[in-house]
Amino acid sequence: MVSRRGFLTSTATAAASAAVGLGVGAAAATQVAANGSQTATASRALVFEGPHPMGIETPIQAVTNMVAFDILPGTTLKDMQRWMFLLTDDIRRMSSGEPVLADPAPELAIGAARFSAYVGFGPSLFRKLSIEERMPDGLIDLPGFSIDALKDEFSGGDVLIHVAADDPVVLSHGVRNLVRDSLPFATVRWNQAGFAHTPGMVPEGVTHRNLMGQVDGTANPALETDDFDDVVWVKDGPNWIKGGTLLVFRRIAMQLDTWDQLSSVGKGEVIGRDLKEGAPLTGSKESDLPDFEARSAAGLKVIPEFAHIRRASNSGEGERIFRRPFSYEMPISKEGSMDVGLLWCAYQANIEKQYLPMQLRLAELDLLNRWTLPIGSATFAIPRGVSGDEVIAEGLFS
Amino acid sequence: MVFMKRIQSIALAALLPVLVLTGCVQAPAVEISNPWVRASEYSDHVGGMTGVFFEVKNNSSETITLVGGAAEIAGMVEIHEIVMNGGEMVMQKKAGGISIEPGQTHVLEMGGDHVMLMNLNEAIVAGDVLFVTLDFEGAEDVTLTDLVAKPSDGGDETYHDENMDH
Repeated sequence: MVSRRGFLTSTATAAASAAVGLGVGAAAATQVAANGSQTATASRALVFEGPHPMGIETPIQAVTNMVAFDILPGTTLKDMQRWMFLLTDDIRRMSSGEPVLADPAPELAIGAARFSAYVGFGPSLFRKLSIEERMPDGLIDLPGFSIDALKDEFSGGDVLIHVAADDPVVLSHGVRNLVRDSLPFATVRWNQAGFAHTPGMVPEGVTHRNLMGQVDGTANPALETDDFDDVVWVKDGPNWIKGGTLLVFRRIAMQLDTWDQLSSVGKGEVIGRDLKEGAPLTGSKESDLPDFEARSAAGLKVIPEFAHIRRASNSGEGERIFRRPFSYEMPISKEGSMDVGLLWCAYQANIEKQYLPMQLRLAELDLLNRWTLPIGSATFAIPRGVSGDEVIAEGLFS
Repeated sequence: MVFMKRIQSIALAALLPVLVLTGCVQAPAVEISNPWVRASEYSDHVGGMTGVFFEVKNNSSETITLVGGAAEIAGMVEIHEIVMNGGEMVMQKKAGGISIEPGQTHVLEMGGDHVMLMNLNEAIVAGDVLFVTLDFEGAEDVTLTDLVAKPSDGGDETYHDENMDH
């Protein structure tokens, strides 16, 4: 399939285009070429360059690691420029499946495997650098919600590097390189690893299923549509953010022990969808639009008042987001309880106007809140994509 | 020729300017790829030192020899090697430099041969971009105009050559 913007291409093409722009070294190019027997997974590459940050308008990868940093005391704008310079070069190379410069483990660069990485900047970064006036419109610290049980170790952060790939080894190698190049500038505040489906597990366009069994992201704008552009990408503002987006990250723990005690009918009523098909209770397939007015023979609303999809549905103009959640799984307790949940990522052009009203409705009356607990939270501005000789977030730190 | 330490705002496209790997451009006689300079605790102060690493391919029909170099940021530039001496890895000046036969590639890497920048006039920190000229016998000198400083602590070199000041 040829995508509208050609996000997906082969490693060879990506490497070739990088070579034209960058002059990729002979050894690196040879290294990729030497792996002529690359598998389909290894050879699939996402394009780093373009108007938008990579790794967002892309079918979800198999594994992810989100690493948040706090800048070192005394960090200057010049330091931020140096840091972004290093990250830009690293991400560019690894997107093509190549080792980074000074890679201590170049032999792990065995293919792109849809590696992606983008950088985000939290409100605290703008404050620490005394550039609050450069904060994009709609980037806010979220207010505390009544349902929140946030923990510091999963929340906040000055700078985020969000890495994803279709292979855990490629992911690990990528994170290692990016963290190493970040340590002269910052300390790691938290990292949160997650996963989705193996590529090819579900047909393209089929929604990711979370560990409660719920199809997650049905109401999303479709990738590579004008609708997606409207919901996700920032249109106005300084050049560094135009074409970028704002991220709401929430770590949402799932109370599986009690959730699993519900019947499938009960689960369906909580969500407002039949879990098996993902269809709204008023429809027969996932893509059917829910009919929030429909009533049963007994006169009750088919999709209950407390149902998640009713509370989340956009009653206000423009209150839409793009969700791209990964699952997480932590060690099982001695009692056998699963510690699982979501690395819930939502992208929008304006957090204040799009996410916030929706979340206020959900926090108020969403029965799903009984089985889900937000334990981490952060917001970040993600700069636009780069092309040619540009550095990530060029202009922001000048 | 201008030697200067430049911080940022360097065109990434020029990161590896010595080699442009396209089908329509003839390879230069001396092909340098993936050059970087190490930013570490040894380089983060005036008077410090550090290593420069890259791959160099000889596309000419004659043997070429990397014999030294020059950089505004360094009081002295030498070609070094790492040898075992009494069970310890020791760095020392490589006598005669690094010779590369036609068609061959030599890799300068941590723990092996490298270009040493000594008596630094300025600190080199991660993300800096430098100019360094490499002095070849048998070929034109090559100036690396966008040598990026990569953070790289540790490593197994021991910097206690008595000729060096640190």
